[in-house]
Amino acid sequence: MNRFFYIVAITTVLFSSCEDVIEVDVPTDEARLVIDGLIRVDTTQEFVNVKVKITKTTSFFENIETVSNIPTIFIYYGVENEFGELINGSYSNLTELNSGSGVYEPDPTFSTDQRIRTNNLVEETAFWLILEYEDRRYAAKTYYATSVKIDDLEQGDGTLFNEDETEVIISYTDQPDKENFYIFDFGFGNFLPSEDTFYQNQPFSFSYFYDEDLEAGDEISVSILGADEDFYTYMNLLIEQSEGGFGPFETPAATVRGNIFDVTGIDNINQYNNVEQPDNFPLGYFAFVQEFKQTLVIE
Amino acid sequence: MKKIFVLCFLFSSYLFGQEKFTLSGTVLEEATGETLIGVNVIIPELKTGTITNEYGFYSITLPEGTYLVQFSSLGFVSQQKSISLTQNTTLTISLKNDTEQLDEVVITADVERANIKAPQMSVNTLTAGTIKSIPVVLGEADVIKSLLLLPGVTNAGEGSSGFNVRGGAVDQNLILLDEATIFNSSHLFGFFSVFNPDAIKDVKLFKGSIPSRYGGRVSSVLEIFQKEGNSKALKFNGGIGVVASRLLAEGPIVKDKAAFLVGGRASYAHLFLPLFDIKNSAYFYDLNTKLNYRINENNNIFLSGYFGRDLFSINDSFVNVYGNALVNFRWNHIFSDKLFSNLSLIYSDYYYGLELDFVGFEWNSGIQNFNLKYDLKHYLTDKLQINYGINNIYYSFNPGKIKPNNSESGIVEEQLIKKYGNESAIYVDVEQDITSNLSVEYGVRLSHFIRFGQDEINVYEDNNPVLFDTFTLVYSEAEPLETIASSRSDQLKSYTNFEPRISAAYSINEDLSVKASYTRLSQYLHLLSNTSSPTPLDVWTPSGPYVKPQLLDQYAFGIFKNLKNRTYTLEAEVYYKNIQNRIDYIDGANLIANNAIEQVILNGEARAYGIELLLRKNTGKLQGWVSYTVSKSEQRTPPRNENEIGINNGEWYNTPYDRPHDISIYANYSWNKKWTFNSNFVFQTGRPTNYPIGQFVFQDVVVPYYGFRNVERLPAYHRIDVSAIYVPTQKEDKNWSSEWVFSIYNVYNRKNAASINFRQNEDTGVNEAVRTSIFGIVPSVTYNFKF
Repeated sequence: MNRFFYIVAITTVLFSSCEDVIEVDVPTDEARLVIDGLIRVDTTQEFVNVKVKITKTTSFFENIETVSNIPTIFIYYGVENEFGELINGSYSNLTELNSGSGVYEPDPTFSTDQRIRTNNLVEETAFWLILEYEDRRYAAKTYYATSVKIDDLEQGDGTLFNEDETEVIISYTDQPDKENFYIFDFGFGNFLPSEDTFYQNQPFSFSYFYDEDLEAGDEISVSILGADEDFYTYMNLLIEQSEGGFGPFETPAATVRGNIFDVTGIDNINQYNNVEQPDNFPLGYFAFVQEFKQTLVIE
Repeated sequence: MKKIFVLCFLFSSYLFGQEKFTLSGTVLEEATGETLIGVNVIIPELKTGTITNEYGFYSITLPEGTYLVQFSSLGFVSQQKSISLTQNTTLTISLKNDTEQLDEVVITADVERANIKAPQMSVNTLTAGTIKSIPVVLGEADVIKSLLLLPGVTNAGEGSSGFNVRGGAVDQNLILLDEATIFNSSHLFGFFSVFNPDAIKDVKLFKGSIPSRYGGRVSSVLEIFQKEGNSKALKFNGGIGVVASRLLAEGPIVKDKAAFLVGGRASYAHLFLPLFDIKNSAYFYDLNTKLNYRINENNNIFLSGYFGRDLFSINDSFVNVYGNALVNFRWNHIFSDKLFSNLSLIYSDYYYGLELDFVGFEWNSGIQNFNLKYDLKHYLTDKLQINYGINNIYYSFNPGKIKPNNSESGIVEEQLIKKYGNESAIYVDVEQDITSNLSVEYGVRLSHFIRFGQDEINVYEDNNPVLFDTFTLVYSEAEPLETIASSRSDQLKSYTNFEPRISAAYSINEDLSVKASYTRLSQYLHLLSNTSSPTPLDVWTPSGPYVKPQLLDQYAFGIFKNLKNRTYTLEAEVYYKNIQNRIDYIDGANLIANNAIEQVILNGEARAYGIELLLRKNTGKLQGWVSYTVSKSEQRTPPRNENEIGINNGEWYNTPYDRPHDISIYANYSWNKKWTFNSNFVFQTGRPTNYPIGQFVFQDVVVPYYGFRNVERLPAYHRIDVSAIYVPTQKEDKNWSSEWVFSIYNVYNRKNAASINFRQNEDTGVNEAVRTSIFGIVPSVTYNFKF
């Protein structure tokens, strides 16, 4: 909800300002591993489309490099026992199918099927992503997050700040009786996290304004992704940082840390204390979320 | 109260056995009947004197005798009166304006002269005249923009709200308009301040050495007095500018007894939005009113009001309204020629409302307070004055209420939990001349804050609302164990603080003095804002079980010198200050519509130090000042225990308002009766900011990432502004006088960076650094009139 407020404050100031691109010398940090492990589950399909993209950070004006030839990368999943342990889980070993792409998918060369069946997923399903790279071991854990259907997606004729905007109105119904978090994906790298605090159990709709130049006949797709609170917070921070500061209203810069950690040499993560080495971490996020998608042809 | 009586008793020994009488009264402006603040009342024979207080009252007790008494104030013709003091004498004096100009001339040099001896330091005074002659963007005279030219005062740049004093935050300034607290000092996100320059009489900024009659904010006190209204004749003045126009009427209701003042100001709609065809508007207005009634010589009552609003509306999709309102009743009562009192009853509120049609909700939040103040000034001898009083403020905070704006909206109405508090204080403040060279002002304020019960209070395990994960090294919000309700009369938490203040001045000779001061202040209200400059929707929150009051210790030392027969004055001050319990926010903290703000707050600390130089030229055709400040402002939030890392790894980091170098030059040249020229030059180190130390891509979103906070800086900020004031010849038979103000802001069109954003170009997909600058060169013209 807070994003709406910020948009209002920021945009008003920008009306009277001007922008230009300037040259800036930026500092460089050592490269870190980045794991884009957002797995979107379409429950109408038989298998989950698992794709994990691995890259490295670069300085701000350089091109992103993909990371190939990761020897070990797999997902371990199942329902935890009463002690929070995952004993008899299943494995999904991943491999880079297109060499150089940095995208890892279930390995078809195994004798058994490494794909994950959608009908095996329940809300309590836990997932571990484990990978080893350059003698370091990384791990992340997440739970399956369900989502809700889009009740309706239609084009509106309103605009907010500028005539070229395209309004779409998204309607959906909040999942009853629990605190929910959703991430809306409007395409073009536009995400909007939302929590249900102010529309608990309600049918809800809101307008989104595309400022991209959309023409009649263009197709857009809008998704509602499920999220837990951590992923919601992560996406909020990620978007805030990617939009950068806006002058007087800029928010403090922060490193957007995800849920993937360097676990080299650790037997039991629950007893590990990392205070001695605060700078040792990869970036990115591993999430397993249900996705409902609808497309709309712009008129 | 007991303490006060003890003190009074102690000092009464000074009086014993001396044949002394009191000269007291009020100093007025002859033409308008307006009381005059800060008029020097000097008895050269005894090398002693006093100045009139905020209500124009003076009192001085002298040995029996006949004296020549001088009454002087810059911009007025001085008067000398021979007074034979054989009994207590009341003398009301009217001073004549010494100029035909619209605005009296700039700096109150005589006050400066007296200030060499006074223990008060770290204070700057501006008259309405100065404020009006300083060139500003779009030609709209502005109190806060004028303050920025003084040493130790900065802001976050163009288009930002509020101001920062000696490296302090915006919410640490106590802003008093006719003794009432103003919570938001800016219109249109900081483009203008809320004070109508026509209605202002006097502006005083205390940056340190804050007398014990003030409290509640740790950085500074900005005290603004509005005019009372002309009690002699009906007068109008006003102005027409490129962004706003104003009109003010004042006049007698009962001649010499009762007067009124009504002033209004409004900007033109569509101010910032001319580029788009869509239906929208953005404007502000404010209204100042004042009634004053002199019941008799010893009783004077005032009723003042202020109402200001900003309105934004874009395409009916969002409508945003916010502003301050206040009503203030004051009663000046003179108990005796030595005892002056003022009682104030004040109600003030700040309102913020927002309607977002495209999401389907309405939002409003605000703060209300009821303030009672009773201040007494006791002029015991010409060497000793004691001020004492009480103050009680009751606050009600509405952090926000959300409701659907139409029947189809899925928004569920919800009132965020309201909070209540009460802040009370008693103080005593002694101004004493110990020898002819040494004067001191010392006092103490005892403040007490109660946080009252509210509908819901969260209870946490180990009383800890913020968790730290030792593995991920991330602070996160704790889940409350339970929520309990408590009655509005319960005390959730209370704090008591003892705030001593002391300052001393030692005059080495008539023209040279050194001063030193120590100030302790506490602050019980906090503005929740993690942006560089506050936004109007930021909400205030009271101290309570989890948020401790901020405590300041400030030490200052200064040298004050008159040069060249008082043509110039030089002030140099060094200061160091330390603030405990400065709140900081965990990464990713959501401050808006957050019902459990304690879950994202950690208590940190702040410190600032610096040196300020101010050279003024007070007389002649060319007047003005040069100010230079070198300073540092930092904060840190250390780990709470050995298993945590704190914010920014617990290291000190630059506050967003750290400006190591700050130079301002202001010059005013009166060429002839028709033309006056003004110019400012400002140079400041750029605001601390962050450059990304790297980038990554997540789901097609390019994300810059950052290291330690506020390590980099924006490019240096500098600009020159000029203005010319032209006064056409006044026709002798006409009452109408006028002036034209032509100004150019940012003459050499410097593109000062308000921010540098790192982002991906939406069209090309290439990463770029984008500089946002708010104002380039801005010419403007304003027409002011008076009749």
